[in-house]
Amino acid sequence: MRVGKGITMPKLLIVDDESDIREFARNFFKKRNIDTHTAEGGKEALEIIERESPDLVLLDVRMAEMTGIEVLQTLRGRNNNTKVIMVTGVEEEETVKAAHELGVKGFIHKPLVLEELEKIVLKELAGH
Amino acid sequence: MSTHQIKRKKEIDYKKELESASKGMILVHEPKVLIRLIVRMIVRKVNVKHAAMILYDEKRDSYVLAISRGEAGVKVPAGYARIEKSSPLIRIFYEKEYKNFITDNGALMTSDLDKLLWKESIVANGNGTKELLYKVSEQMQLLNAIACVPAYYQGTLLAILLLGEKGNGKRFIQEELDFFSALASDVAMAIRNAELFDSLRKEAMKNRSLFIRTTIALASAIEAKDQYTAGHTERVTKYALSIARQMTANGSAQFPLGFLEDLHIAGLLHDIGKIGIPESILCKTGKLTEDETIIMKQHTLRGVEILRPLTELEECLKGVKYHHERYDGKGYPEGLKAEEIPLIAAVISVADTLDAMTTDRPYRKALTTPAAIIEIKKNSGVQFNPLVVRALVELVEMGRI
Repeated sequence: MRVGKGITMPKLLIVDDESDIREFARNFFKKRNIDTHTAEGGKEALEIIERESPDLVLLDVRMAEMTGIEVLQTLRGRNNNTKVIMVTGVEEEETVKAAHELGVKGFIHKPLVLEELEKIVLKELAGH
Repeated sequence: MSTHQIKRKKEIDYKKELESASKGMILVHEPKVLIRLIVRMIVRKVNVKHAAMILYDEKRDSYVLAISRGEAGVKVPAGYARIEKSSPLIRIFYEKEYKNFITDNGALMTSDLDKLLWKESIVANGNGTKELLYKVSEQMQLLNAIACVPAYYQGTLLAILLLGEKGNGKRFIQEELDFFSALASDVAMAIRNAELFDSLRKEAMKNRSLFIRTTIALASAIEAKDQYTAGHTERVTKYALSIARQMTANGSAQFPLGFLEDLHIAGLLHDIGKIGIPESILCKTGKLTEDETIIMKQHTLRGVEILRPLTELEECLKGVKYHHERYDGKGYPEGLKAEEIPLIAAVISVADTLDAMTTDRPYRKALTTPAAIIEIKKNSGVQFNPLVVRALVELVEMGRI
């Protein structure tokens, strides 16, 4: 999205199968002048990534349709290196290892500290 | 209707709601259930866009937004966010120097914070108060909250009730703030009660396990004296419990609450009186003389004497005392008949006999279980309560003994 003269709003995609989380996070980042999109599952997420080329994806690990790791694998399989931050409940060693091998920018653990969420997202979006 | 009347009506409503919340507190053991009710009621009755409860989480040693209700997009989803103990929003409720910033009924309002931030004395005092207030205001904005009401129990912050804007955008009125504060203390009480209840339960379980282990230790004292009873008490207890469960299963008995526990203890202790019987009699390989038999038979009453100080064992004592009574009234110590014999004793009697018959004794070899069952069946209604025998036979037929 273009705002004013040549200033582009950073673009964020939130992937979570809980609608309350999608809605809260969308509002949360919109208020911070981030062009925020949401997807409720892996398939929709992959479509939006192709179409919108977000600068950053917040990807929930535990989802019914496709796990966050599966989404990430598919994405990397398509040679897409979009920045991804994983959002997860319980720490699972294998998940963390797999995600790091697939080149994620970081992990956020639920319940999360909102200030930290804001900070890490703004840091990754800086310069976009 | 005048504004006065409207206000009046609201006040009465809140009192009613508070009463029903308090009633809920008594009925609900799980504080989260009550908190869910309260949060839902606030959103509905006070018409706030969203409300949530932040609860102290022992495992994480931080505060977690655990229960949440209201408009999607505005409410913070339950379980999504936590607030660190060291963060300004928690510190402002804990540290004495910030006490003045909170209203009389305990609420912290963003509108008050905004005013304070312009106050000369605070801006200038240079001890970080301004920064803290500013951060608190920011944190509340992140949570879409305009008021926070703490719930304390004896100075410990257990929870924070978080409130979003009212649907009509108006400020909270005094009655509403009082209402929130009363609800918050209800929540603190409910959490505290649940914690107390839980620790009592744990304590009781610990005592219970200590008690059982003490009983086992006591029972093994008899076995140390009489090698032929080695493992006997344990097996009798096992048989007795199986028989009692089978009697419940086949509908022949409805035992009162706690019966199985009493039976467990009574099974372990049924021969405890043998501690008082001389070894020359207890371990004699030949037939006992008449006098010796009289002394041997005293073990039931001696057991009762030994255990008498343990007044909690009243029911178990019946098992110890009467496990040598016979259905036909020819047993001891009192010659009770048929249903006069407490079931706890009737069950132990059959279990005791089964084990005695199927293990080697100084005076004879062990019988096989089928052979022992034939003997016991012959004595059903003579020596033994027929219902107890029936349950034992069923267990053997099912291959469970």
